[in-house]
Amino acid sequence: MSQEIKPVRIGMMSFAHMHATSYAASLTRIPDAELVGIADDNPERGKDMAKRFKTQFFGSYEELLQQDIHAVIVCSENIKHKDLVIKAADAGKHILCEKPLATNIEDGKEMINHCKKHGIRLQTAFPFRFSPAMIQAHQAVMSGQIGKILAIKGANRSKCPGGWFTDLEQSGGGAVMDLTVNVADLIRWITGAEIDSVYAEISNRINHKDFDDAATLTLTMNNGVFATIDPGWSKPESYPFWGDVTLTIVGTDGAIWVDLFKQKMNLYSDQSSSGSWEYWGDDIDMLMVKAFVNSVAFGLPVEPSGEDGLAALTTVVAAYESANRRIPIKTVDIGCNPAV
Amino acid sequence: MQRVALVGAGGMGATHAASYGKIQNAKLVAVMDIRPDAAADLAAHYNAKSFSDAQKMFDEVEFDIIDICTPTPWHIDYVKIGAAAGKHVCCEKPFGRTLEQCREAIEACEKAGVTLFIAHVLRWFPEFKKAKELIDFGAIGSPAVVRTTRGGGFPHGWNNWFANFEWSGGAVLDLVIHDFDWLLWTFGPAERVFAKGLYNSGIPEKDYALITIRFRSGVIAHVEATFATPGGFKVSLEVAGDKGVINFDNTDAAPLVIGKWQTESSGPGVPVPSSPMSVSPYYLELQHFVDCIEEGRKPAVTPQEAMDAVALALAAIESIKTGAPVRL
Repeated sequence: MSQEIKPVRIGMMSFAHMHATSYAASLTRIPDAELVGIADDNPERGKDMAKRFKTQFFGSYEELLQQDIHAVIVCSENIKHKDLVIKAADAGKHILCEKPLATNIEDGKEMINHCKKHGIRLQTAFPFRFSPAMIQAHQAVMSGQIGKILAIKGANRSKCPGGWFTDLEQSGGGAVMDLTVNVADLIRWITGAEIDSVYAEISNRINHKDFDDAATLTLTMNNGVFATIDPGWSKPESYPFWGDVTLTIVGTDGAIWVDLFKQKMNLYSDQSSSGSWEYWGDDIDMLMVKAFVNSVAFGLPVEPSGEDGLAALTTVVAAYESANRRIPIKTVDIGCNPAV
Repeated sequence: MQRVALVGAGGMGATHAASYGKIQNAKLVAVMDIRPDAAADLAAHYNAKSFSDAQKMFDEVEFDIIDICTPTPWHIDYVKIGAAAGKHVCCEKPFGRTLEQCREAIEACEKAGVTLFIAHVLRWFPEFKKAKELIDFGAIGSPAVVRTTRGGGFPHGWNNWFANFEWSGGAVLDLVIHDFDWLLWTFGPAERVFAKGLYNSGIPEKDYALITIRFRSGVIAHVEATFATPGGFKVSLEVAGDKGVINFDNTDAAPLVIGKWQTESSGPGVPVPSSPMSVSPYYLELQHFVDCIEEGRKPAVTPQEAMDAVALALAAIESIKTGAPVRL
């Protein structure tokens, strides 16, 4: 019934998160999308980025939202996601929000409900679901190639991003907040089950500061599958790549190993002091942004949704509580009903 | 010259026998197995006598060392018999099926004044030795997070004993006891353990566990134990510290790959990677033990350390059963 929107006009809200540059670059490469402008509460950064992506800078989020745009991409500090999402929803714009969706469950729920009330499509930026390797792994599981899933071992490690990421006032948490949700989302997606409980060991032994940077989480799903996640800022500065994303899926009839960024080559150049790994696989950020643009253009549901973002965030909240209390934490006990 | 009597002519027994065959100051003189044919086959290779009855072996053969390669629950019986007869004891890992068995074994050997060595061979694996050296040297600074992987398909032994969890303890006790010993050796005592696994799940010929250990030092270790994954035996190690990271994966560290075209007689033409060394870790381990006996030194693995590794494995199994973290 609804007409196709073409092109989909999009504004960017904040470039605090470095993924914003990747998403903006994606927009410039997607024929049916148009990057209309950038607003940023750091005007210097916003102007730089507007110049870089040959688009307009707006002095306030309100001004951007008054433009004739269909959607926004929110890449602020974690703690500001809620305000920006609510502003955008009030202005009737569909939203792609950087992960984690929020820093606590109440904020996440409020964002989802607010968007629902205003008929806004809210997508959580989980690009790993768009990796061709991950899609094939998902299909292999769905078609029963490894039988019934028994367990999953996941990891997502990177170098310490520094900046506001390590300022708990703005990030809401360290590596566990930053890196858990993407993998938790994959585990939910692949098992088709919800997270029932979480146990976590968390430390700050990489940086020895007030933020967490090393951890192991154990998830029990409501279908009995168990899984672990290593979310760590544990890659040293000298590491030849930004980090890694890996998943081992063990089933009754076999196993699947996914190493998402394995498509890379070794570079040894006398122009730098150490070797590096150069990635040549698909640009999964672009594939994710394309899916968002498509949903807006054709009025389709977004995936992964705000609800998916909240379910993944629940893992983080439960993990911090588990590490404090040294017991497994049920997600229902922290105000998240997996069934809803 | 140390004369060795081997008990248990299964896969590990054959590996130990081959090592003694190369050790200058040791000689395999007897092989005992309750399966007379298995004992005879292995003994014949080394000009040793074979027995299917332990008492008969003790009566008829003079030897200095008893090397125990039986399934886990019978380790304790042969340790006791050997110690009582004044023999030095080499016992395959895991030390015992219960802590009580470990304690009894230690007491029996102390009382008899014989040396007890538990064969934690990983300490002689060059990649694990190298990793510990690098860590101790400070190459990665202060360690923070450790990840290990070990395993492949389900092992098959006498009477399918690995599938009897009351006997073998599954992958958590039988397999990753290797990693537990290396972790305790490298990072010190463990504080608590939390584990999830298929222990005794009833799924035939499958065991898989993911184990998180918190050490007193604050180090977090994650251990993958698998008797459930196809594609050959995989071992990996990664240690991240505040100044760097080391990682190792046996599937990447194969300097030799032999690939053959498929023929009707050879079966599927799958290339087989391998990592050959001039000397085997089993040889180095047993040479160390024999030298310790000859020179009156204490072996590098103490019975208490071997018992600590069993304690960690049993705590992980308890955590799998109860769903709660277990303090050590």
